[in-house]
Amino acid sequence: MKRKQGGKLMLTNILLFSALKRLLCCALLPLSLLSGCFCAEALADDNYNTRWRLHGFIAQGVIDVDHSNYVTDDGDISARLTEIGINASYQLSRDFRVTGQAVYLNGGNRYHEGARLDYLLLDWSAYSTENWLVNFYFGRFKNNHWLYSNIRDVPQARPSIILPQSIYFDGFRDIAEGGEGLDIKVSYSDDELGEFDFGLSAGTSDISKAQTQIILSKLAGGRLKHDYDIQASLYWRPLYSSWRFGLALLDSDFSYDGGEQDAFLDADIVLQRYFLNALYQGEFWELSAELLQDRFVFDDFYFPGFHQDNLGQGIFLQGRYKAGNRLTFLGRYEKFYINKDDKHGRKLEQGSQGQIPAYFGYQNSFTLGVSYDLLANVRLELEHHWFEGTARLTPVVLPDARANSREHWNLWALQLMYWF
Amino acid sequence: MLCGLVICPRAYSVTIITHASVGQADIPSSQLRRIFSMRQLRWQNGVAITVFVLPSQHPLHQRFSKEKLGIFPYQLDNIWQKLSFSGLGATPIVVQTPQDLLEAVKATPGAIGYAADEAKTGGEVDVN
Repeated sequence: MKRKQGGKLMLTNILLFSALKRLLCCALLPLSLLSGCFCAEALADDNYNTRWRLHGFIAQGVIDVDHSNYVTDDGDISARLTEIGINASYQLSRDFRVTGQAVYLNGGNRYHEGARLDYLLLDWSAYSTENWLVNFYFGRFKNNHWLYSNIRDVPQARPSIILPQSIYFDGFRDIAEGGEGLDIKVSYSDDELGEFDFGLSAGTSDISKAQTQIILSKLAGGRLKHDYDIQASLYWRPLYSSWRFGLALLDSDFSYDGGEQDAFLDADIVLQRYFLNALYQGEFWELSAELLQDRFVFDDFYFPGFHQDNLGQGIFLQGRYKAGNRLTFLGRYEKFYINKDDKHGRKLEQGSQGQIPAYFGYQNSFTLGVSYDLLANVRLELEHHWFEGTARLTPVVLPDARANSREHWNLWALQLMYWF
Repeated sequence: MLCGLVICPRAYSVTIITHASVGQADIPSSQLRRIFSMRQLRWQNGVAITVFVLPSQHPLHQRFSKEKLGIFPYQLDNIWQKLSFSGLGATPIVVQTPQDLLEAVKATPGAIGYAADEAKTGGEVDVN
């Protein structure tokens, strides 16, 4: 069985690498013709291959969750903690670059298993001076707006194996991770005010049937469609400061088209999110906090005229201590409730005639972790999470109260990662 | 092609070196931060900047990061990892030894890197 799984993983890796190569080749050909700058002369001078960049990571771990179906349905220790990614970038000319990344993820019930195209885009550096940098990204782009949104699947770059679910909810991973359309980044730096980064993106994601069921319910026979998505963010680091502050906004619309003989009706969903975050980076301490308010409007689905309009709120406070170049300790506290007017979930339970327990209205957690760099690019990470409440377990819309019958649950995870 | 390196020595133990095509005599630390955090991609003369660095664990890189940029090496790693794995931008090119770094800057128009103060640059690079 294990040999079969290992062979499957290897096959997946091969397919992933070959898919990325094909995608980049397909993207490069027309773009290189368009730019007119893909010249042999420039390549001949490029002794250090400065036009190409190739990076990647591979991480495998074990995870054990007690009293919830967060990763598996049986509650046993699981190896469903695999993350593989590879990206390549090619500088077509001084102002144009093409880049792409493919990932393979297996997180059990957290999101659907398989390979994904994380991003594939044309980067146009439209304006660049000593102080200003303006870039337009066309194609499939990553979500670069929240504190950890663009590195949530990058094991060596994120602060922990499992990110705070209040904000980086795994159930929304495929929707929140990026979109297809246009992304704009404007950076400004000077010697008085410091560094500013403004981002604006518009683009939607394709939602698979598996992902639809993860979000809504296993009984959902139709497909969720991402109709509209616009995001903006602004970050500021004062001059020579160890602090960085940010805010981000998201406005998105979804629709559900019920299948034939579906248990549910067509539905319209609006998701609006507001974020504030702060990051401190000292020599030994790294502190971060992120605050979220999200509005979730849900129409029809259960019956014609059904209407739900909730304001959820979440926050995490995180500290990391670097005990030398190799060893890092992590501590984090997180709080989240799906309806700020029902912080204890009582209305939720009453509204469902007791079918949905009150603890599905909130989810708080405490995390301790440690990581050790075995080599410059090999790291071992271990962490333990204690949870209270189940508001960030899937499915979201029709919770699984049978599989998640306890208010208190916990998990530990151990992951080995390599990157280049 | 013009092959050279410009070095700017001061009271630091690390020296900034640039390819002669850069043509900038002095690079203030705030500009160095912008260049090495990939917020400035072109020199004043319009030439694209190519950044060469040593592995982040290398003692010279650690000294350079703290003394010249006023940034801890892990902060630079974070910035570069975010750029690389989000598709937002290209990252510096990592070479394995100080000699490789010197040779790379010598050979690449628009390049910038660093060397130990005591390093012999051979006069083919600009020293800042």
